[in-house]
Amino acid sequence: MKITILNGDMSQGGSELSRFLEKLVAGISPNHQVSQFPLHTMNLHYCTGCWNCWWKTPGRCSINDDGSEIFNSVINSDFVVFASPLLAGFTSSALKKITDRLIVLLHPYIELNQGECHHRKRYAKYPDFGLLLEMEPDTDQDDLKIVGDLYDRFAINFHSKKRNMWLVNHDNTEDIIDEICFV
Amino acid sequence: MKFVLFNGSPRNQKSNTKILLEHFLRGYNRVNPESVPVSYLANRKLKDDHLTAFRDSNIVIVAFPLYTDSMPGIVKEFFEDIARSGISGSKKMGFIVQSGFPEAIHSIYIERYLEKFTARMKCEYLGTIIKGGVEGIQMMPPFMTRKLFGRFEALGVNFATNFGFSKAIGAKLRRPYKMTAMGRFIFSIVSRTGLTNYYWNSNLKKNNAYDKRFDQPFSRKADS
Repeated sequence: MKITILNGDMSQGGSELSRFLEKLVAGISPNHQVSQFPLHTMNLHYCTGCWNCWWKTPGRCSINDDGSEIFNSVINSDFVVFASPLLAGFTSSALKKITDRLIVLLHPYIELNQGECHHRKRYAKYPDFGLLLEMEPDTDQDDLKIVGDLYDRFAINFHSKKRNMWLVNHDNTEDIIDEICFV
Repeated sequence: MKFVLFNGSPRNQKSNTKILLEHFLRGYNRVNPESVPVSYLANRKLKDDHLTAFRDSNIVIVAFPLYTDSMPGIVKEFFEDIARSGISGSKKMGFIVQSGFPEAIHSIYIERYLEKFTARMKCEYLGTIIKGGVEGIQMMPPFMTRKLFGRFEALGVNFATNFGFSKAIGAKLRRPYKMTAMGRFIFSIVSRTGLTNYYWNSNLKKNNAYDKRFDQPFSRKADS
């Protein structure tokens, strides 16, 4: 299967998250195709809300940077890992930057989904995803619930499903590999 | 008291958030004529100035559009800058979240984060104003926006008087929380006429992109 890892680590040196990801990738890559994106070191810009991707060049972002490589990988994956340290109680701005721009993969038209307005699909199939988080010293259960619920909401809009939420150095890499690859 | 506003819209000066804040400030200045500075977080070259404005304030409102169910990336970066700076305490913080989706339910999840973030910064939480259905207000005729702008003006009057959000106005702005059964029924009927997509289609046609509206440039078929 094809797996995309969006790594929102913003630290300068090797963080616990990046070390954990290395172990994870080492376990997955022999049998599966893994594409990793170290977002903080890539040429990526913030979404400007121009909506050219919806009404000028449908399905294509006007920003000329590394975004297209990520969009292509995400939509053609079987599973996506959103990996990030928690910073100020939420996933990093590096990860949020590219998450905002994933609207390029959706259609502007509105439809009712679970009785709510949501954007309709642009593509036939969207990958399920998992969250891999590195906690802050003051992270509590309330923070994890808030983050988990927000990504559940994202899943509705992304026509997808948040399958798991893992914590660096709390969950075991072998178990995570099983959960990603053998569902 | 030093009161500052932060506009967290990536659309900067062209944002719907700016329009809502202008009406809020019109009301505020009817009670308190002192000018309120507005910092635009989209001007990322001024990051240090934004942090200074936050540090020197007693009362802060951060207003932003909902982006993929939470705050836009530039607002998250601002929150990270605040947390990293060590500036905390003795401030009151409130938020305004506006969305294109008409229902408030889309924004109540980030509301929980905003309250928690305020507590994390050891500041006093003033609440979050949630308003859906804001996309398109710049194209709407005045009779369609009069009530919305009037409510934001009243919100500003109340804020200048009490340095807090009016619960009554906040509750009105949140409507609808979810579409009613009747609303969903009407939507499903109207959607068959294509009228629910009028806003998108008129812009697609204006840009000569209507025929490409279902393009899938990243589909595997497109690769081959």
